[in-house]
Amino acid sequence: MKMTNIYEGSYQWVMFGRDDNKPEKIIDTNQYMVRTSERCLLIDPGGVELFAPMLAAVLHYAPVDQITDLFSSHQDPDVISSLGLWDQALPHAKLHASALWEGFLRHFGCDSIEYVAIPDAGGVIDLGSVELQVIPAHYMHASANFNIYDPKAKILMSGDIGAAIEGPGAPMFVDNFDAHVEKMRFFHQRWMPSNQAKRVWIERARELDIDILAPQHGRMFKGDDVKRFLDWFEALQVGIGI
Amino acid sequence: MKLGQTKSQFVAVASIAAELSAVMGVAKEISLAAANAKAIAFRAGEKAKGFQPITDFINELAKDTIALVNDINEHALTLYQLTVNEYRMTYAHDKFEQVKVLAQGAAYSESLELPLTNSTQTMLECRRDFKMSVTQLLDQLAEVMHPARAARVIAANSRIEASQAGEYLQSLQAVAESVDNAAQVIHDNVQRCRTALSVIDLAD
Repeated sequence: MKMTNIYEGSYQWVMFGRDDNKPEKIIDTNQYMVRTSERCLLIDPGGVELFAPMLAAVLHYAPVDQITDLFSSHQDPDVISSLGLWDQALPHAKLHASALWEGFLRHFGCDSIEYVAIPDAGGVIDLGSVELQVIPAHYMHASANFNIYDPKAKILMSGDIGAAIEGPGAPMFVDNFDAHVEKMRFFHQRWMPSNQAKRVWIERARELDIDILAPQHGRMFKGDDVKRFLDWFEALQVGIGI
Repeated sequence: MKLGQTKSQFVAVASIAAELSAVMGVAKEISLAAANAKAIAFRAGEKAKGFQPITDFINELAKDTIALVNDINEHALTLYQLTVNEYRMTYAHDKFEQVKVLAQGAAYSESLELPLTNSTQTMLECRRDFKMSVTQLLDQLAEVMHPARAARVIAANSRIEASQAGEYLQSLQAVAESVDNAAQVIHDNVQRCRTALSVIDLAD
Protein backbone atom coordinates (compact mmCIF):
# COMPACT_ATOMS: atom_id res chain seq x y z
CA MET A 1 0.00 0.00 0.00
CA LYS A 2 1.54 3.32 -1.03
CA MET A 3 1.26 6.22 1.39
CA THR A 4 1.39 9.83 0.19
CA ASN A 5 1.26 12.88 2.45
CA ILE A 6 -0.89 15.44 0.66
CA TYR A 7 -1.06 18.06 3.42
CA GLU A 8 1.33 18.84 6.24
CA GLY A 9 0.41 21.47 8.79
CA SER A 10 -0.60 21.19 12.41
CA TYR A 11 -2.25 18.00 11.20
CA GLN A 12 -1.82 15.73 8.17
CA TRP A 13 -3.74 14.40 5.21
CA VAL A 14 -2.44 11.08 3.92
CA MET A 15 -3.60 9.22 0.84
CA PHE A 16 -3.34 5.40 0.76
CA GLY A 17 -3.64 3.49 -2.48
CA ARG A 18 -2.02 1.62 -5.38
CA ASP A 19 -1.65 -1.53 -3.28
CA ASP A 20 0.64 -3.88 -5.22
CA ASN A 21 -0.93 -6.94 -3.56
CA LYS A 22 -4.53 -6.02 -4.34
CA PRO A 23 -6.47 -8.93 -5.92
CA GLU A 24 -6.49 -8.31 -9.66
CA LYS A 25 -10.22 -8.15 -10.28
CA ILE A 26 -11.20 -5.64 -7.62
CA ILE A 27 -11.16 -1.94 -8.45
CA ASP A 28 -8.26 0.09 -7.08
CA THR A 29 -9.31 2.62 -4.46
CA ASN A 30 -7.87 5.63 -2.69
CA GLN A 31 -8.29 5.85 1.05
CA TYR A 32 -7.59 9.05 2.97
CA MET A 33 -6.68 9.82 6.54
CA VAL A 34 -6.80 13.06 8.49
CA ARG A 35 -4.35 12.72 11.37
CA THR A 36 -4.42 15.21 14.23
CA SER A 37 -2.23 14.99 17.31
CA GLU A 38 -4.70 12.73 19.09
CA ARG A 39 -7.21 11.46 16.58
CA CYS A 40 -7.55 9.93 13.14
CA LEU A 41 -10.35 10.05 10.63
CA LEU A 42 -10.30 7.43 7.87
CA ILE A 43 -12.22 8.59 4.81
CA ASP A 44 -13.73 5.81 2.68
CA PRO A 45 -11.62 3.17 4.43
CA GLY A 46 -12.15 0.63 1.65
CA GLY A 47 -13.35 -2.86 0.89
CA VAL A 48 -12.97 -5.95 2.99
CA GLU A 49 -10.10 -7.22 0.80
CA LEU A 50 -8.13 -4.10 1.63
CA PHE A 51 -8.58 -4.06 5.38
CA ALA A 52 -5.29 -5.71 6.36
CA PRO A 53 -2.96 -3.65 4.12
CA MET A 54 -4.91 -0.50 4.97
CA LEU A 55 -4.69 -0.91 8.75
CA ALA A 56 -1.04 -1.97 8.44
CA ALA A 57 -0.35 1.25 6.52
CA VAL A 58 -2.24 3.41 9.02
CA LEU A 59 -0.11 1.94 11.83
CA HIS A 60 2.85 3.84 10.36
CA TYR A 61 1.07 7.04 11.39
CA ALA A 62 -1.14 6.27 14.38
CA PRO A 63 -1.85 3.64 17.02
CA VAL A 64 -5.09 1.69 16.78
CA ASP A 65 -6.71 3.44 19.75
CA GLN A 66 -6.28 6.85 18.06
CA ILE A 67 -8.30 5.82 15.01
CA THR A 68 -11.44 7.41 16.37
CA ASP A 69 -13.55 8.20 13.31
CA LEU A 70 -14.54 6.67 9.98
CA PHE A 71 -16.40 8.37 7.16
CA SER A 72 -18.22 6.66 4.32
CA SER A 73 -19.10 8.85 1.33
CA HIS A 74 -21.73 6.32 0.23
CA GLN A 75 -22.66 2.66 0.55
CA ASP A 76 -20.60 0.90 -2.13
CA PRO A 77 -18.59 -2.19 -1.09
CA ASP A 78 -15.30 -0.73 -2.34
CA VAL A 79 -15.91 2.21 0.02
CA ILE A 80 -16.91 0.53 3.26
CA SER A 81 -17.37 -3.27 3.12
CA SER A 82 -14.47 -3.45 5.60
CA LEU A 83 -16.77 -1.96 8.26
CA GLY A 84 -17.33 -5.29 10.04
CA LEU A 85 -13.58 -5.64 10.58
CA TRP A 86 -13.10 -2.05 11.76
CA ASP A 87 -16.00 -2.78 14.10
CA GLN A 88 -13.94 -5.53 15.75
CA ALA A 89 -10.71 -3.51 15.76
CA LEU A 90 -12.10 -0.14 16.92
CA PRO A 91 -15.01 -0.80 19.28
CA HIS A 92 -15.11 2.83 20.46
CA ALA A 93 -14.93 4.57 17.08
CA LYS A 94 -17.65 6.51 15.25
CA LEU A 95 -18.83 5.99 11.70
CA HIS A 96 -20.07 9.17 10.00
CA ALA A 97 -22.34 8.23 7.10
CA SER A 98 -25.66 9.16 5.55
CA ALA A 99 -28.77 8.65 7.67
CA LEU A 100 -30.37 7.11 4.59
CA TRP A 101 -27.78 4.36 4.34
CA GLU A 102 -27.73 3.32 8.00
CA GLY A 103 -29.95 0.25 7.65
CA PHE A 104 -27.92 -0.85 4.63
CA LEU A 105 -24.42 -0.22 5.97
CA ARG A 106 -25.18 -2.14 9.14
CA HIS A 107 -25.31 -5.29 6.98
CA PHE A 108 -21.50 -5.09 6.87
CA GLY A 109 -21.43 -5.45 10.69
CA CYS A 110 -21.65 -2.41 12.95
CA ASP A 111 -22.33 -3.61 16.50
CA SER A 112 -19.71 -1.71 18.48
CA ILE A 113 -18.95 1.34 16.35
CA GLU A 114 -21.31 4.28 16.92
CA TYR A 115 -23.20 5.18 13.72
CA VAL A 116 -23.37 8.97 13.44
CA ALA A 117 -26.13 9.60 10.92
CA ILE A 118 -25.50 12.55 8.58
CA PRO A 119 -28.66 14.38 7.51
CA ASP A 120 -29.21 15.17 3.81
CA ALA A 121 -28.07 18.77 4.34
CA GLY A 122 -24.60 17.60 5.48
CA GLY A 123 -22.83 18.90 8.58
CA VAL A 124 -19.41 18.88 10.21
CA ILE A 125 -17.01 16.31 11.60
CA ASP A 126 -15.28 17.76 14.63
CA LEU A 127 -11.90 16.16 15.33
CA GLY A 128 -11.12 18.52 18.17
CA SER A 129 -8.38 20.63 16.64
CA VAL A 130 -9.77 20.26 13.10
CA GLU A 131 -13.29 20.75 11.80
CA LEU A 132 -14.21 19.22 8.46
CA GLN A 133 -17.27 20.08 6.41
CA VAL A 134 -19.54 17.34 5.10
CA ILE A 135 -20.76 18.54 1.72
CA PRO A 136 -23.87 17.01 0.09
CA ALA A 137 -23.19 15.35 -3.27
CA HIS A 138 -26.43 13.43 -3.65
CA TYR A 139 -26.85 11.33 -6.80
CA MET A 140 -23.14 11.75 -7.45
CA HIS A 141 -23.39 8.82 -7.86
CA ALA A 142 -25.31 7.32 -4.93
CA SER A 143 -28.71 8.65 -3.97
CA ALA A 144 -27.29 9.71 -0.61
CA ASN A 145 -23.71 10.83 -1.12
CA PHE A 146 -21.31 13.19 0.66
CA ASN A 147 -17.90 14.78 0.12
CA ILE A 148 -15.49 15.99 2.81
CA TYR A 149 -14.07 19.51 2.57
CA ASP A 150 -11.23 20.82 4.67
CA PRO A 151 -11.20 24.65 4.40
CA LYS A 152 -7.78 24.94 6.02
CA ALA A 153 -5.97 22.35 3.91
CA LYS A 154 -8.21 23.29 0.92
CA ILE A 155 -8.81 19.65 0.09
CA LEU A 156 -12.10 18.31 -1.24
CA MET A 157 -12.40 14.54 -0.95
CA SER A 158 -14.89 14.06 -3.76
CA GLY A 159 -15.79 10.35 -3.60
CA ASP A 160 -16.47 9.01 -7.08
CA ILE A 161 -16.48 12.49 -8.65
CA GLY A 162 -13.23 12.89 -10.55
CA ALA A 163 -12.56 9.16 -10.47
CA ALA A 164 -10.62 7.47 -13.24
CA ILE A 165 -9.94 3.86 -14.03
CA GLU A 166 -6.20 3.40 -14.27
CA GLY A 167 -3.66 0.62 -14.51
CA PRO A 168 -1.50 -0.35 -11.55
CA GLY A 169 1.24 2.07 -10.66
CA ALA A 170 -0.49 5.19 -12.00
CA PRO A 171 0.90 8.48 -10.62
CA MET A 172 -0.84 10.07 -7.65
CA PHE A 173 -1.62 13.38 -9.38
CA VAL A 174 -2.92 14.30 -12.82
CA ASP A 175 0.05 15.58 -14.82
CA ASN A 176 -1.57 16.02 -18.22
CA PHE A 177 -5.24 16.92 -17.94
CA ASP A 178 -6.09 16.49 -21.62
CA ALA A 179 -4.61 12.99 -21.68
CA HIS A 180 -6.41 12.15 -18.43
CA VAL A 181 -9.89 13.03 -19.73
CA GLU A 182 -10.40 9.76 -21.60
CA LYS A 183 -9.72 7.80 -18.39
CA MET A 184 -12.65 9.59 -16.74
CA ARG A 185 -15.21 10.03 -19.49
CA PHE A 186 -17.09 6.72 -19.50
CA PHE A 187 -16.94 6.42 -15.72
CA HIS A 188 -18.69 9.78 -15.27
CA GLN A 189 -21.16 9.34 -18.12
CA ARG A 190 -22.24 5.91 -16.86
CA TRP A 191 -22.02 6.23 -13.08
CA MET A 192 -23.35 9.76 -12.63
CA PRO A 193 -27.09 9.52 -13.21
CA SER A 194 -28.26 13.13 -13.35
CA ASN A 195 -27.21 16.31 -15.17
CA GLN A 196 -29.31 18.29 -12.71
CA ALA A 197 -27.49 16.81 -9.70
CA LYS A 198 -24.18 17.40 -11.48
CA ARG A 199 -24.97 21.11 -12.00
CA VAL A 200 -25.94 21.54 -8.34
CA TRP A 201 -22.71 19.87 -7.23
CA ILE A 202 -20.55 21.97 -9.56
CA GLU A 203 -22.11 25.19 -8.25
CA ARG A 204 -21.43 24.03 -4.72
CA ALA A 205 -17.83 23.01 -5.52
CA ARG A 206 -17.10 26.36 -7.22
CA GLU A 207 -17.90 28.15 -3.99
CA LEU A 208 -15.12 26.24 -2.24
CA ASP A 209 -11.46 27.19 -2.27
CA ILE A 210 -9.88 23.93 -3.46
CA ASP A 211 -6.18 23.19 -3.86
CA ILE A 212 -6.60 19.42 -4.16
CA LEU A 213 -9.58 17.47 -5.46
CA ALA A 214 -9.15 13.97 -4.09
CA PRO A 215 -11.33 11.25 -5.66
CA GLN A 216 -11.77 7.68 -4.47
CA HIS A 217 -10.27 6.16 -7.63
CA GLY A 218 -7.37 7.24 -9.81
CA ARG A 219 -5.32 10.40 -9.65
CA MET A 220 -5.88 13.54 -7.59
CA PHE A 221 -6.20 17.00 -9.17
CA LYS A 222 -4.06 19.89 -8.03
CA GLY A 223 -4.11 23.65 -8.66
CA ASP A 224 -5.48 24.65 -12.07
CA ASP A 225 -6.45 21.07 -12.87
CA VAL A 226 -9.25 21.38 -10.30
CA LYS A 227 -10.86 24.18 -12.33
CA ARG A 228 -10.20 22.26 -15.57
CA PHE A 229 -11.99 19.27 -14.13
CA LEU A 230 -15.03 21.34 -13.06
CA ASP A 231 -15.28 22.93 -16.53
CA TRP A 232 -14.90 19.58 -18.30
CA PHE A 233 -17.45 17.92 -16.04
CA GLU A 234 -19.92 20.78 -16.52
CA ALA A 235 -19.88 20.25 -20.29
CA LEU A 236 -20.20 16.46 -20.06
CA GLN A 237 -23.62 14.85 -20.53
CA VAL A 238 -24.09 12.19 -17.88
CA GLY A 239 -26.62 9.45 -17.20
CA ILE A 240 -26.17 7.64 -20.50
CA GLY A 241 -27.06 4.13 -19.36
CA ILE A 242 -30.76 4.26 -20.16
CA MET B 1 -10.80 -22.42 15.16
CA LYS B 2 -10.73 -22.21 11.36
CA LEU B 3 -13.06 -20.34 9.02
CA GLY B 4 -13.87 -23.62 7.21
CA GLN B 5 -15.22 -24.94 10.51
CA THR B 6 -17.73 -22.09 10.85
CA LYS B 7 -18.79 -22.70 7.24
CA SER B 8 -19.67 -26.31 8.07
CA GLN B 9 -21.55 -25.00 11.11
CA PHE B 10 -23.65 -22.77 8.83
CA VAL B 11 -24.56 -25.81 6.71
CA ALA B 12 -25.40 -27.91 9.78
CA VAL B 13 -27.60 -25.22 11.33
CA ALA B 14 -29.41 -24.64 8.02
CA SER B 15 -30.01 -28.41 7.68
CA ILE B 16 -31.47 -28.53 11.17
CA ALA B 17 -33.83 -25.64 10.39
CA ALA B 18 -35.05 -27.45 7.28
CA GLU B 19 -35.60 -30.75 9.11
CA LEU B 20 -37.43 -29.01 11.96
CA SER B 21 -39.73 -27.28 9.54
CA ALA B 22 -40.67 -30.71 8.15
CA VAL B 23 -41.20 -32.10 11.69
CA MET B 24 -43.54 -29.22 12.44
CA GLY B 25 -45.59 -30.02 9.32
CA VAL B 26 -45.88 -33.67 10.33
CA ALA B 27 -46.84 -32.83 13.92
CA LYS B 28 -49.67 -30.70 12.56
CA GLU B 29 -50.77 -33.66 10.43
CA ILE B 30 -50.94 -35.83 13.59
CA SER B 31 -53.07 -33.18 15.24
CA LEU B 32 -55.44 -33.27 12.26
CA ALA B 33 -55.51 -37.09 12.35
CA ALA B 34 -56.45 -36.91 16.05
CA ALA B 35 -59.38 -34.59 15.30
CA ASN B 36 -60.47 -36.87 12.47
CA ALA B 37 -60.22 -39.95 14.70
CA LYS B 38 -62.28 -38.24 17.39
CA ALA B 39 -65.07 -37.52 14.94
CA ILE B 40 -65.06 -41.11 13.67
CA ALA B 41 -64.96 -42.52 17.19
CA PHE B 42 -67.90 -40.29 18.16
CA ARG B 43 -69.95 -41.54 15.22
CA ALA B 44 -69.00 -45.16 15.94
CA GLY B 45 -70.28 -44.77 19.53
CA GLU B 46 -70.04 -47.98 21.60
CA LYS B 47 -68.18 -49.85 18.86
CA ALA B 48 -65.19 -47.51 19.19
CA LYS B 49 -65.39 -46.85 22.89
CA GLY B 50 -61.79 -48.00 23.45
CA PHE B 51 -60.60 -45.72 20.67
CA GLN B 52 -61.91 -42.48 22.15
CA PRO B 53 -59.27 -42.00 24.89
CA ILE B 54 -56.59 -42.88 22.34
CA THR B 55 -57.60 -39.90 20.20
CA ASP B 56 -56.98 -37.63 23.19
CA PHE B 57 -53.53 -39.15 23.62
CA ILE B 58 -52.76 -38.61 19.96
CA ASN B 59 -53.81 -34.99 20.22
CA GLU B 60 -51.68 -34.44 23.33
CA LEU B 61 -48.70 -36.01 21.60
CA ALA B 62 -49.11 -33.70 18.61
CA LYS B 63 -49.35 -30.68 20.91
CA ASP B 64 -46.25 -31.74 22.87
CA THR B 65 -44.31 -32.27 19.67
CA ILE B 66 -45.32 -28.86 18.28
CA ALA B 67 -44.33 -27.14 21.55
CA LEU B 68 -40.98 -28.95 21.63
CA VAL B 69 -40.24 -28.15 18.00
CA ASN B 70 -41.05 -24.48 18.63
CA ASP B 71 -38.52 -24.47 21.48
CA ILE B 72 -35.95 -26.24 19.34
CA ASN B 73 -36.52 -23.77 16.51
CA GLU B 74 -35.75 -20.88 18.84
CA HIS B 75 -32.66 -22.70 19.97
CA ALA B 76 -31.61 -23.31 16.36
CA LEU B 77 -31.92 -19.55 15.71
CA THR B 78 -29.66 -18.85 18.68
CA LEU B 79 -27.22 -21.39 17.30
CA TYR B 80 -27.29 -19.59 13.94
CA GLN B 81 -26.59 -16.22 15.59
CA LEU B 82 -23.73 -17.76 17.56
CA THR B 83 -22.33 -19.16 14.33
CA VAL B 84 -22.53 -15.71 12.67
CA ASN B 85 -20.73 -14.16 15.66
CA GLU B 86 -18.09 -16.84 15.64
CA TYR B 87 -17.57 -16.52 11.88
CA ARG B 88 -17.16 -12.75 12.11
CA MET B 89 -14.79 -13.02 15.05
CA THR B 90 -12.69 -15.76 13.46
CA TYR B 91 -12.52 -13.82 10.20
CA ALA B 92 -11.50 -10.63 12.03
CA HIS B 93 -8.88 -12.52 14.03
CA ASP B 94 -7.38 -13.95 10.80
CA LYS B 95 -7.25 -10.43 9.32
CA PHE B 96 -5.61 -9.00 12.45
CA GLU B 97 -2.94 -11.70 12.14
CA GLN B 98 -2.37 -10.56 8.55
CA VAL B 99 -2.10 -6.94 9.69
CA LYS B 100 0.50 -8.00 12.26
CA VAL B 101 2.69 -9.48 9.53
CA LEU B 102 2.17 -6.55 7.14
CA ALA B 103 2.75 -3.92 9.82
CA GLN B 104 6.16 -5.21 10.88
CA GLY B 105 8.40 -2.20 11.30
CA ALA B 106 5.49 0.27 11.50
CA ALA B 107 5.85 2.83 14.29
CA TYR B 108 2.61 1.79 15.98
CA SER B 109 2.47 -1.94 15.16
CA GLU B 110 2.41 -2.84 18.86
CA SER B 111 -0.93 -1.11 19.30
CA LEU B 112 -2.46 -4.05 17.44
CA GLU B 113 -1.86 -6.33 20.43
CA LEU B 114 -5.02 -5.26 22.23
CA PRO B 115 -7.42 -5.96 19.33
CA LEU B 116 -5.61 -9.27 18.74
CA THR B 117 -5.91 -10.32 22.39
CA ASN B 118 -9.54 -9.20 22.51
CA SER B 119 -10.42 -11.09 19.34
CA THR B 120 -8.76 -14.27 20.66
CA GLN B 121 -10.72 -13.95 23.88
CA THR B 122 -14.02 -13.29 22.11
CA MET B 123 -13.39 -16.18 19.73
CA LEU B 124 -12.94 -18.53 22.69
CA GLU B 125 -16.13 -17.21 24.29
CA CYS B 126 -18.06 -17.71 21.04
CA ARG B 127 -16.75 -21.28 20.83
CA ARG B 128 -17.72 -22.01 24.44
CA ASP B 129 -21.26 -20.60 23.92
CA PHE B 130 -21.63 -22.56 20.70
CA LYS B 131 -20.58 -25.86 22.30
CA MET B 132 -22.94 -25.30 25.19
CA SER B 133 -25.77 -24.53 22.83
CA VAL B 134 -25.13 -27.64 20.71
CA THR B 135 -25.23 -29.83 23.84
CA GLN B 136 -28.56 -28.29 24.86
CA LEU B 137 -29.97 -28.74 21.37
CA LEU B 138 -28.95 -32.42 21.32
CA ASP B 139 -30.82 -32.89 24.60
CA GLN B 140 -33.92 -31.22 23.17
CA LEU B 141 -33.75 -33.40 20.07
CA ALA B 142 -33.56 -36.48 22.27
CA GLU B 143 -36.63 -35.22 24.09
CA VAL B 144 -38.65 -34.83 20.91
CA MET B 145 -37.96 -38.50 20.12
CA HIS B 146 -40.05 -39.53 23.15
CA PRO B 147 -43.44 -38.39 21.81
CA ALA B 148 -42.53 -39.92 18.44
CA ARG B 149 -41.85 -43.28 20.10
CA ALA B 150 -45.03 -43.02 22.16
CA ALA B 151 -47.00 -42.26 19.01
CA ARG B 152 -45.85 -45.53 17.49
CA VAL B 153 -47.06 -47.47 20.57
CA ILE B 154 -50.39 -45.64 20.43
CA ALA B 155 -50.68 -46.45 16.73
CA ALA B 156 -50.28 -50.16 17.55
CA ASN B 157 -53.00 -49.93 20.24
CA SER B 158 -55.20 -48.02 17.83
CA ARG B 159 -55.02 -50.88 15.34
CA ILE B 160 -56.23 -53.30 18.01
CA GLU B 161 -59.10 -51.01 19.04
CA ALA B 162 -59.98 -50.35 15.39
CA SER B 163 -60.39 -54.09 14.79
CA GLN B 164 -63.43 -54.04 17.09
CA ALA B 165 -65.12 -51.05 15.48
CA GLY B 166 -67.19 -52.94 12.89
CA GLU B 167 -67.91 -50.85 9.80
CA TYR B 168 -65.55 -48.14 11.15
CA LEU B 169 -62.63 -50.54 11.03
CA GLN B 170 -61.11 -49.13 7.84
CA SER B 171 -61.42 -45.46 8.83
CA LEU B 172 -59.87 -46.02 12.24
CA GLN B 173 -57.14 -48.23 10.81
CA ALA B 174 -56.32 -45.42 8.38
CA VAL B 175 -55.98 -43.05 11.35
CA ALA B 176 -53.66 -45.50 13.11
CA GLU B 177 -51.64 -45.87 9.93
CA SER B 178 -51.37 -42.12 9.52
CA VAL B 179 -50.14 -41.64 13.12
CA ASP B 180 -47.64 -44.45 12.70
CA ASN B 181 -46.23 -42.98 9.48
CA ALA B 182 -46.05 -39.50 10.94
CA ALA B 183 -44.22 -40.78 14.02
CA GLN B 184 -41.72 -42.57 11.77
CA VAL B 185 -41.14 -39.40 9.71
CA ILE B 186 -40.56 -37.34 12.87
CA HIS B 187 -38.16 -39.96 14.17
CA ASP B 188 -36.19 -39.96 10.90
CA ASN B 189 -36.06 -36.17 10.62
CA VAL B 190 -34.93 -35.69 14.20
CA GLN B 191 -32.31 -38.36 13.65
CA ARG B 192 -31.04 -36.40 10.65
CA CYS B 193 -30.85 -33.24 12.82
CA ARG B 194 -28.70 -35.13 15.30
CA THR B 195 -26.47 -36.41 12.50
CA ALA B 196 -26.11 -32.85 11.12
CA LEU B 197 -25.03 -31.65 14.56
CA SER B 198 -22.65 -34.54 15.03
CA VAL B 199 -20.56 -33.50 12.00
CA ILE B 200 -19.69 -30.23 13.74
CA ASP B 201 -16.26 -30.50 15.21
CA LEU B 202 -16.60 -29.44 18.83
CA ALA B 203 -12.97 -30.05 19.61
CA ASP B 204 -10.93 -26.97 20.60
